[in-house]
Amino acid sequence: MLFAGIDIGAATAKVVILRDGKILSYAIIPTGFDVINTANEVTRLALEKVDHSIDELEFVISTGYARSAVPFANKTLTEILCHAKGVHLLLPRARTIIDIGGQDSKVIRVGESGNVINFNMNDKCAAGTGRFFEVMAVVLGLDISEMGPIALKSSNPCQISSTCTVFAETEVVSLRAQGRSREDLISGIHKAAASRVVTMGKTVGYEKEVVLTGGVAKNMGVKKFLEDEIKMETVIPEEPQIMGALGAALFAQAELGKK
Amino acid sequence: MKTMKDLSTSLEGRVSELRELKKEGKKIVGYVPGGFMPEELVWASGAIPVGLNRGGDPSAVLKSAEYLPRFIDTFSRSQIGYWAMGEEPLYQMVDLVVVPCTDRNIGVIADGWEMWTETKVFKFGVPHNNKSDHAFKYYLDGLHLLKEALEKLTGSTITDDKLRKEIDVLNRMRLLLRQISEMRKSERPPISGKDYIKLHHASFRTDRDIMVTSLESMFQELKGNEGRKGPRILLIGSSIAEGDYKVHNILEAIGADVVIEDFSEGMRPYWQEVENNGDLVEALADGYFRKRTPPPAFFRPATEERVAFFLRLAKEFRVDGIIWYSMMYRDSYDIAGIYFRRIAEKEGLPFIKIMSDYDTAETGPLRTRIEALIESL
Repeated sequence: MLFAGIDIGAATAKVVILRDGKILSYAIIPTGFDVINTANEVTRLALEKVDHSIDELEFVISTGYARSAVPFANKTLTEILCHAKGVHLLLPRARTIIDIGGQDSKVIRVGESGNVINFNMNDKCAAGTGRFFEVMAVVLGLDISEMGPIALKSSNPCQISSTCTVFAETEVVSLRAQGRSREDLISGIHKAAASRVVTMGKTVGYEKEVVLTGGVAKNMGVKKFLEDEIKMETVIPEEPQIMGALGAALFAQAELGKK
Repeated sequence: MKTMKDLSTSLEGRVSELRELKKEGKKIVGYVPGGFMPEELVWASGAIPVGLNRGGDPSAVLKSAEYLPRFIDTFSRSQIGYWAMGEEPLYQMVDLVVVPCTDRNIGVIADGWEMWTETKVFKFGVPHNNKSDHAFKYYLDGLHLLKEALEKLTGSTITDDKLRKEIDVLNRMRLLLRQISEMRKSERPPISGKDYIKLHHASFRTDRDIMVTSLESMFQELKGNEGRKGPRILLIGSSIAEGDYKVHNILEAIGADVVIEDFSEGMRPYWQEVENNGDLVEALADGYFRKRTPPPAFFRPATEERVAFFLRLAKEFRVDGIIWYSMMYRDSYDIAGIYFRRIAEKEGLPFIKIMSDYDTAETGPLRTRIEALIESL
């Protein structure tokens, strides 16, 4: 029997197809404008890889900010629960999850069974999210994938006092005009964003093992500065972007047991 | 619910009714409903009190930018926006606006009316410490000045007889609101969180006698009724404005509900009565300020009392989780929210803190947080 978890995030849509509690297939595509079409497309892509179709899905759970817009989902759940569930399957010793997505960042404390103990997330402000890094990359004329590696090269990160995407852009432009190196600037941006996320999560607290998820977890600069801030090592799952979708798929599978 | 429907029909006609009364020479007194403006004084002066309590509309916030800087509590800031948009009749028909200034943000409401409108404003201070005699005297002096201002406005003397009658009516209203609220201690509350808050909001503009009659019938109607069973939430924060029901709507859509609230603006304090003997203005100051439950501010010396009240509500109403809902830039509540989170966590009560700027962009993250809280219970 096949189960699917679909995570329609602000920047990307992810789907995980589960069979017998194991990941059979997954896909990630940009969310785009038409979320219904995106949901169909990402699911079709993941299923095509393993020669299956949407009709064969036993139960589907959608999550992410556009969770209510998935027409073939049997149920919706928030990404907070789904991330905890997904991470728990792969990294059962995880007690804290730092999830940084396209539009929001969350710090989630999880219990021994992958249950959510506490969480905090940013409000509507994009500070410390994927969108923040995207805007900064454009300002600096870089591809988003280049940001992390360059951030690691500086030994003297610039002090970026504002993590507001708009104000930080002004600050970066001003520092660039003062002749600060690109490495120091990018490093400073990463440090500022990491500090913002860590501060937000302090009400929740950090306990080992700390796992990073979401698209921004692929940025090694963010990993380094988050670790510096919390003074703990972090672990990144093999594919950190699909943890929400995986959790949703696991919940979908569990629904069968309820019947 | 029949009474709720009747009340809402009566509210629809209230503005025309007030217009007629105004034509007949009656004065309309607007006030910020934070529980520090004794309406008894207004009724006893022959004027009609109406709470100015609109909120939740992003366009009012946007409009306020023409008059006020941004970094002020959203509820307070949007009040001048409602006046400037000209779409809220009550904001246009008031002869006097009374603002009990509990903090600088609420003070800004008075500033807005004073600076930009022709409407008369009466403001008086509400100290944070209700334990000191000096603070009591300060608040009492404010009430005496208010009494004078109302007498001047209406040309009518506020006699003890008139005041005694109004205290009785308002005590009855407070008692009924309390009794209806306490019905929500049951496993299946007979009234939803949204309807209960709407009762408070209705009470700010309906005639007090009609309101009491409505509450009497509602109390009878609700007796023995059973509502939905679901996760039970304590909603606490700064202001719950008329029109700002988004938290209730999100909760109701997922089968949860608010079973008890604690707000500074937008609710009528109903846990204490006003004594109806001795010096009646002093009795009002005693009921509205010194014996107020919970005390005016959370800062010391009131902290322990406020925390105890919060925990008492959580226990008596058997809540499963807490939603702290305060306005953006209302710093004192921001600080208190962090403090209360720790208290709640010590007690094993799941807690989320939401700051609202009445902005449509906040809807998505708000829904996620509230749903995640309920899912994780």
